[in-house]
Amino acid sequence: MTLLLAPLPEKGIGLPHDASLHGWRIDALINETSVYVGLLFVIMVAWVVLACLRHGPRHEARFDHGTSTRSIAVGLCIAGAIFFVVDGPLFVNSLILARDVFGNFAKVEADPKSVRIEITAHQWAWVARYAGPDGKFNTPDDIVTFNDVVVPEGTPILFQLVSTDVIHSFNIPNMRAKIDAVPGMVNRVWFEAKETGEFDIACAQHCGLNHYKMKATLTVLPRPDWEKWAAEASANSARDYDPDDREAHWGWDWSEHARI
Amino acid sequence: MQVIPSEERAAHEELQPIHHEPKSFFFKYLWSLDHKMIGRQFLWAGLGFLLVGGLLAMMIRWQWAFPGKPVPVLGSIFLRSQGGAIGPATYMTIFTMHGLIMIFFAITPVLIGAFGNFLLPLQIGARDMAFPWLNALSFWTFALSLVFVILSLFGELGAAGAGWTTYPPLSTNVGTPGSGQTWMVAAVFVTGVSTIMGGINYVTTVIRHRAPGMTWMRLPLATWGLWLTAILNVLFVPVLGSAALLLLLDRLFGTQFFIAGATASVSGGGDPILFQHLFWIFGHPEVYILILPAWGIVSDLLSFFSRKPANWYRGTVYAMIAVCVLSAMVYGHHMFLTGFTPLLGQSFMLLTLIISVPAELLFLNWLRTVWQGSIRLTTPMLFSLGMLFVFGMGGLTGLYLGATATDIYLHDTMFVVGHFHLTMAAASFVASLAAIYFWFPKMFGRRMNETLGKVHFWITLVCLVTVFSGQLLAGYSGQSRRLYDPYQYTFLKHLLGVNRVASYAAFLLLFAQFIFIYNFIRSLIAGEKAESNPWQVSTLEWFTASPPPYHNYDRIPTVLRGPHEFADPEVRRRLGRDFIGQAEELPEAMPPAVASAG
Repeated sequence: MTLLLAPLPEKGIGLPHDASLHGWRIDALINETSVYVGLLFVIMVAWVVLACLRHGPRHEARFDHGTSTRSIAVGLCIAGAIFFVVDGPLFVNSLILARDVFGNFAKVEADPKSVRIEITAHQWAWVARYAGPDGKFNTPDDIVTFNDVVVPEGTPILFQLVSTDVIHSFNIPNMRAKIDAVPGMVNRVWFEAKETGEFDIACAQHCGLNHYKMKATLTVLPRPDWEKWAAEASANSARDYDPDDREAHWGWDWSEHARI
Repeated sequence: MQVIPSEERAAHEELQPIHHEPKSFFFKYLWSLDHKMIGRQFLWAGLGFLLVGGLLAMMIRWQWAFPGKPVPVLGSIFLRSQGGAIGPATYMTIFTMHGLIMIFFAITPVLIGAFGNFLLPLQIGARDMAFPWLNALSFWTFALSLVFVILSLFGELGAAGAGWTTYPPLSTNVGTPGSGQTWMVAAVFVTGVSTIMGGINYVTTVIRHRAPGMTWMRLPLATWGLWLTAILNVLFVPVLGSAALLLLLDRLFGTQFFIAGATASVSGGGDPILFQHLFWIFGHPEVYILILPAWGIVSDLLSFFSRKPANWYRGTVYAMIAVCVLSAMVYGHHMFLTGFTPLLGQSFMLLTLIISVPAELLFLNWLRTVWQGSIRLTTPMLFSLGMLFVFGMGGLTGLYLGATATDIYLHDTMFVVGHFHLTMAAASFVASLAAIYFWFPKMFGRRMNETLGKVHFWITLVCLVTVFSGQLLAGYSGQSRRLYDPYQYTFLKHLLGVNRVASYAAFLLLFAQFIFIYNFIRSLIAGEKAESNPWQVSTLEWFTASPPPYHNYDRIPTVLRGPHEFADPEVRRRLGRDFIGQAEELPEAMPPAVASAG
């Protein structure tokens, strides 16, 4: 069964395997920027090396303060051109991606297939809560898992996060998803997995002694398998529900934090 | 040529009378009012703590290369109770102390404390700082903060461990109850007081004590960099001070400024994000505080050793001013993932990216300064070109982190660590070394060994680039920062190799610094005696003795021109050399002795 697979190791230096539907957009922007940045750096180094070789002690220095209108104009034009060519795409694409993809919560909230998960981060674990069949959080049919998040493939997965102690950061590198979990506020993030398998969930914000071990597993199942898992897990938790265990009764009204 | 009225000269002499040099040990070396001695005090303190911070870095590198294995040498001295190995609790204090010590107690005192003090009065033709007594107080306040740092290192439950950013609630008693954390927050507060005193002094000195004729557009660029840094310090260190003070109140008196309610185990009505705002309003200018002096120094040295005027001097000045103004408006990019509204994040992104325009102008000016020059690859010049190299890498990698989309993936990874080490650490460190090699003859009256200097340069540059490229690559591959054992994660297991290579480079880097220490001490004792102007350059400090007398200038100089007058054919014709000092009168015709020799 898929659940028994461990997260796959990566090979070589490079971005970790992208298992999300939209992660490639971030990767493409990173790689495209790398081309420009690499080019600028090579030009700079070549310029300095050439200057050292050609304009050494035997070369007579030119008496030039670089203050002619033409010289200043050339400098300003180059700086402006680099800004528009290199910074421009980063800015525009970040705006577009925020509007259409990573920040487009309206669309995923409206999608009836979306799966909603509430996460409570604490030193040093991730506790996940699913609403169960009634669609309401903090009810007996909720599924609660510990360091173990199970989601369906090909479906938008929405998270709302809080922290009960210090600041943590919910980080799933293979899904290109990351958001801080901050005490006193509810943050949110979403992604859609395009393939099944197991992946690491990490904490990205230093949160104390065992920060490095604040690790959970993300399991992506085919939608029908996940439906089966969810139904079973929900039935189990309804059966095990203890009305007196106050500590276990957390969760908040999703819709209150669903739109901004 | 403009004429300086004699009343103005007289006014300057009256404002800064010559004082007698104190003879007693206490007033000469400890409570000295002389900016040159205070600069040296900062230099010794800063270099000492640079070594402490460097050793802490070696322990971090060891842990990433050989996780959980006993640390050679250092482990058997400091970690005996843990069998010489670094445990997770020790690890978090090591990286926290490394960051705080390097930023506040090593680079700041060396670049700003030592060179700010030493250079500013000399380069503007003054006899001392505007407030010499405040200057001494600034150093001794700094020394007090060093005592706090040492107390923290030996604190109950270990030294500070909440990261150099000290984010609450982790940095409150909730996360780090030990006294080490309290001492360190107090140390940052006290060193902030020292920095503000120094800053007020620098700002005032440059405004009030410039020699006659030293207009703003004739200041050496090193002075511009140090002066702008002082302004940023005066404006933004108080913000850090307020954050540190509120945090101390949270830790010591049970207030809850940074502890949020609405949680199970912690009560409170405060806001942890408030601290991040305060911290980064200071924290982002801080990276420019550390790099502006470096930019200024390198701008001057590139011109000096290309024997050519700095390209578009005013452009460099305006670009540095633009960076200062923008520096206060970009801090939000440190907080993209805290749950900002998108509009706020995007505004900060735009402002952040705009900073690249003045940065590009600086780079273009540097590149055009060396082009068509007559480059002398002396040790200070090599380090200046080295700063271009590492700062180029650091600046360009900042682009990815300034954009909200790419930052989602790269935030809090080793990529960030590599980026800010290349800019703040490598670039400031390399520029500090350029400055030490360059001004050593002026500070101590002796010259450093050039061959050893060049060997030091090449090993240092190659190692710095390897270490921090390794961090960039590890981060690009997904390694989060501040992980005691990154290899707990399946997707990071394969990065052990990269981290090891970077660690070996770091150990070699440390080794190379012993070449420098040897050269420094040997030159101090037995170096070749330096004449007043060994580098044949034009700024004022090179026209007084090496080292300068207690009062710097017997007669306050009258400045006639800018700081980079090289390769002027007229000067060559009349003086027989390729430069002319800022206060040197150009003779009507070439003196006969030089004419026959040339």
